[in-house]
Amino acid sequence: MLLEVKGISKRFGANRVLRDVSFSVNDAEILGLIGPNGAGKTTLFECLAGVLPADQGCVFSNTHQVEANQRSSVLFFVPDGIAPWPDQPVQWALQFSLGFWGGRRHLYRDVLNDLGLEPFLHMPIGTLSKGQRKRVLLAIGLLSPQPVLAIDEPFDGLDLRQSREAVVALRNHVSHGRTLFVSIHQIGDAARICDRFILLSDGRVAGEGTLEELAALAGKRLGQAPPSDFEEVFLALT
Amino acid sequence: MRSPDGAWRWLLRKEWRELVASTSWWVMFILAGPLVGLSFISAVRAYGEASGVGGTAGGLADALWPLDGVLVPTLSAYEIIALFLLPFVAIRVVAGDRQSGASKLELQHPMSPIGRMSAKVLVLLAGWCLAGLPAVLACALWKIYHGSIYAPEAGTVVFGHLLHAGLIIALAAAAASMTEHPSTAAILTLAFTVGTWVLNFVAAVQGGLWERLARYTPSEMLATFQHALFRLNLVLAALALIAAGLVLAAIWMRLGVAVGRRAVESVAIVVVAAAIVFACSFVRADWDASENRRNSFSEPDEETLVKIKAPLTIEAHLAPEDPRRFDLEHQTFSKLRRILPNLTVRYVSSTSIGLFEQANAHYGEIWYDLAGRRTMSRITSGEGVLETIYGLAGIQPPKEDEPELHGHPLAVRPVGAAPLFYVIWPVAIAGIGFYVKRRKR
Repeated sequence: MLLEVKGISKRFGANRVLRDVSFSVNDAEILGLIGPNGAGKTTLFECLAGVLPADQGCVFSNTHQVEANQRSSVLFFVPDGIAPWPDQPVQWALQFSLGFWGGRRHLYRDVLNDLGLEPFLHMPIGTLSKGQRKRVLLAIGLLSPQPVLAIDEPFDGLDLRQSREAVVALRNHVSHGRTLFVSIHQIGDAARICDRFILLSDGRVAGEGTLEELAALAGKRLGQAPPSDFEEVFLALT
Repeated sequence: MRSPDGAWRWLLRKEWRELVASTSWWVMFILAGPLVGLSFISAVRAYGEASGVGGTAGGLADALWPLDGVLVPTLSAYEIIALFLLPFVAIRVVAGDRQSGASKLELQHPMSPIGRMSAKVLVLLAGWCLAGLPAVLACALWKIYHGSIYAPEAGTVVFGHLLHAGLIIALAAAAASMTEHPSTAAILTLAFTVGTWVLNFVAAVQGGLWERLARYTPSEMLATFQHALFRLNLVLAALALIAAGLVLAAIWMRLGVAVGRRAVESVAIVVVAAAIVFACSFVRADWDASENRRNSFSEPDEETLVKIKAPLTIEAHLAPEDPRRFDLEHQTFSKLRRILPNLTVRYVSSTSIGLFEQANAHYGEIWYDLAGRRTMSRITSGEGVLETIYGLAGIQPPKEDEPELHGHPLAVRPVGAAPLFYVIWPVAIAGIGFYVKRRKR
């Protein structure tokens, strides 16, 4: 087990966004965080990355507790919907990422090719489309040095072809020993890429495991045979 | 993970690129030329006329010094730039990362928030120094006109402007870091500036505690340096306030720390800064950097005054807005404070303007108490006050055998300044800006 998350809670005023969230992240897997809009996926990622203070809870790595200000030693988080350094060209932003975080320089060319970034390397990030920006953010994440890469909505803004290419790139990355933790609200995308899943509903963990394990849990809850479709599993558990 | 030093250098490069990419900085850079030019041209024209251009100046010319006549008016453009343009540049640099979302990425590096803030401040100071180029051009023109520049007093005024800019940067950085939106930060910064003006006004009307507080407003601090007076207590207080502002900005930059904890740390920083500023008020070291010793008595007078070791208390019955009090304070007491460490000055009045206190027989009295010996005088001139103190101390006044200082009149017109500052500078800087922005892509 690479990371163990225990009892993360967060509220914004009277709104309890996360309630005692606990789960584990295994080495070299793609873990999917699945939940409807407003389930608390982004908040959970931000709390884990230490860019938002959690009210309660802790994170362990190899049985050692990792404080919020030390999370960057094990986890890198790529937020959704941001346009960092909008005046800087893509190439410089990637070089900065490699220099600032001391990232995986040897993967630079592969990442450029896998994500198709060559055509807009010299364009300022602020001028890119949503999908192009998403690919740049994925590249920044893939080049980061931490063992766990958390990505919020990795396919948001990508068309079908780009999504499939991104899936290949992410899968390829995991095969080199990296661990991915991705939040996805499209069930189909999640089923295509993830090894295991955490179902988050209304700020609570509604289920954790492989597709088969979750299907069995859903069947047990429904009192019938395990559903074969992941969407049915999701609906049964959330 | 990259070592903190290597990461910090990358961050510094990033902040520089972000500054150079910001329109706000280029606007400040371009406008610095015409603003300094306007001040310089007006100052040189007035100085030239007072020196005899187009007529005879008579004895007036002998009293002209470039510090008051050219240097301070020219550099005063930077007071305007620092108050109304620099805050927007600083807010852009500090708040830009939060607006774009870059801070969510950058904050995942374990670098200390002070380290992050120091990179931003260094870049802002470098940007401010570059914006100082028109002042260098103005000084070069003044030298070409054969004008005089006394380096110590010029250095003191420039240092005062640097501290002033530092205060504004620290204030804007703190506001940008503590607020969600840059426009809120801009309003807060401008509100603070207006607040200090109100404080200065109240100090002028009410005196007392307000007057002591007002000494630490950015504009009053700058005014001291503009008199070519280098006061260590002001420098230390300004540095403490700058540090406090930057630490506040760094505290609020840590988005991953609970708001309550950040608030408690902020209160602690404010308390510590207030204590340091209070402690600084007891530091008396200063240096009169002016060529004509405008902040000092004559050397023989100072040598005589130094011999007075007993505590001297002066009680002046004058209202804050009475011009006699203003003259007394600025022409005499401020000089006395520098030379007599055991001097206590108290002002007594029941109104702010003193107009209706004239009927009071005691109004206008100045009481001197030196080790229990008391005397009263109504004289407000420097010579009169010194004479009274010498008499009370039983000391013979020194003989004035110092040669009279003469100013540096210069009857010239600001030839070539207008095209340089109004045309060449804006066009050249706009061209460079356009080229740099294109090249970065």
